[in-house]
Amino acid sequence: MYNLFIFIRKYNAVILFILLEVLCIVMIVQSLPYQSRKMANVSNSITGGVHKTTSNWHDYLHLKSENEALSEHNALLLKRLGCEEVEADAEYYDDIFTYIPARVVNNNIYEMNNYIVIDKGSIDGIEPDMGVICDKGVVGKVVNVSKHYASVMSMLNSYSIISCRFVDNQYVANVVWDNKNYRYGLVKDIPSHIVIKAGDTLVTSGFSNSFPADVMVGTIAEKGDADENMFSTAKLKFSTNFSTLRHVYVVKNNFKSEIDSLCITH
Amino acid sequence: MYNTLIRNILRFIVLLVVQVLVFDNLGFGTYIHPYVYVLFVLLLPFDTPRWRLLIYGFLIGIAVDIFNGTPGLNAAATVFLAFMRPYIIGITTRKSDIEDKNAPSVTEMGLQWFAIYALLLILLHNLVLFWLEAFSIKLLGLILAETLLSAPVTLLLIIIIIYIFKPVKK
Repeated sequence: MYNLFIFIRKYNAVILFILLEVLCIVMIVQSLPYQSRKMANVSNSITGGVHKTTSNWHDYLHLKSENEALSEHNALLLKRLGCEEVEADAEYYDDIFTYIPARVVNNNIYEMNNYIVIDKGSIDGIEPDMGVICDKGVVGKVVNVSKHYASVMSMLNSYSIISCRFVDNQYVANVVWDNKNYRYGLVKDIPSHIVIKAGDTLVTSGFSNSFPADVMVGTIAEKGDADENMFSTAKLKFSTNFSTLRHVYVVKNNFKSEIDSLCITH
Repeated sequence: MYNTLIRNILRFIVLLVVQVLVFDNLGFGTYIHPYVYVLFVLLLPFDTPRWRLLIYGFLIGIAVDIFNGTPGLNAAATVFLAFMRPYIIGITTRKSDIEDKNAPSVTEMGLQWFAIYALLLILLHNLVLFWLEAFSIKLLGLILAETLLSAPVTLLLIIIIIYIFKPVKK
């Protein structure tokens, strides 16, 4: 026992070092692949306020361009309302999805796993796994919700996979991010027999409960080579500009629990 | 003693705020991420006990983590930096050099020594941080690129910060 005390006294720094590093690694591992809910909740409620204040200043400085973008989007929506009102399909979709507008209060694009914090939380009806889109296209998925804030795993995240569809030929592929550039992603699992060319458009497939079908994801920038399993990859240019993201819409699927219960029983 | 405590608390807060509100929002590109808050650990006095260095490193690391939503990441790297600090001081100085010195600052030790000391520790910090962030040896090239590009930028920014906050000599 006495020897143990001598040992601890002699190597107190090394022991403390190992303990602290183990603690840190445990925290890191727990936060993978989705951030640990508890930690994120605490950090959202502490830091959300700080980020919101700085974001208020930022918003003020960008009021003009933001107004222009919003009015542009308004015009687009009005136009769509004018021509598609009679389409039965469109009305049906409106019943399924509700869109909750939110503001981005913190946004990372240069990390390897980027998260966005928005100023809507559980009291606004936000839940994990809801999709997030903006007027230009898909943004990401909600991963954590606190009372007034929510963190969103953006497409610029190594854990993000979005199911997409080619507009031209209806084939489905997955969009991931290769950690390099915030303007470009990677389309994976394209069957190598289908012909793709630069400029092809990808939209959401609508197979996940998080996103409605036909939301813009991006366009093919460069065609890649086929791998040994006869699937090819391609470089994708995101339609969303993540660096200037300010206003987003959280997509609420009104029938999510119903669809989920079906999936479980089968 | 009291004075040093107040100064260190102020330094902690200022560096945390600068890191979270300024440098985490500046886009230097994909490969460059300056983590200037490590200056807090770099400037702690020579006679700080090793276990306290570790605790201080952990505290500022976890504070930055809470703001960035990356629990443990910066804390792990900064604890490692704090652990290595006595060894780096050991190999860059002779014992007689630092006997009458207070802290490893530019004013007391000179810019050249400080730059080498800081760069070595920042390199170690960045290497651990980017490696833990990638969590795989597959991305070794990316980790090395990030480390080698970020560390000099961090050093430059730290020296600029030191000169901005340098007390005026009368």
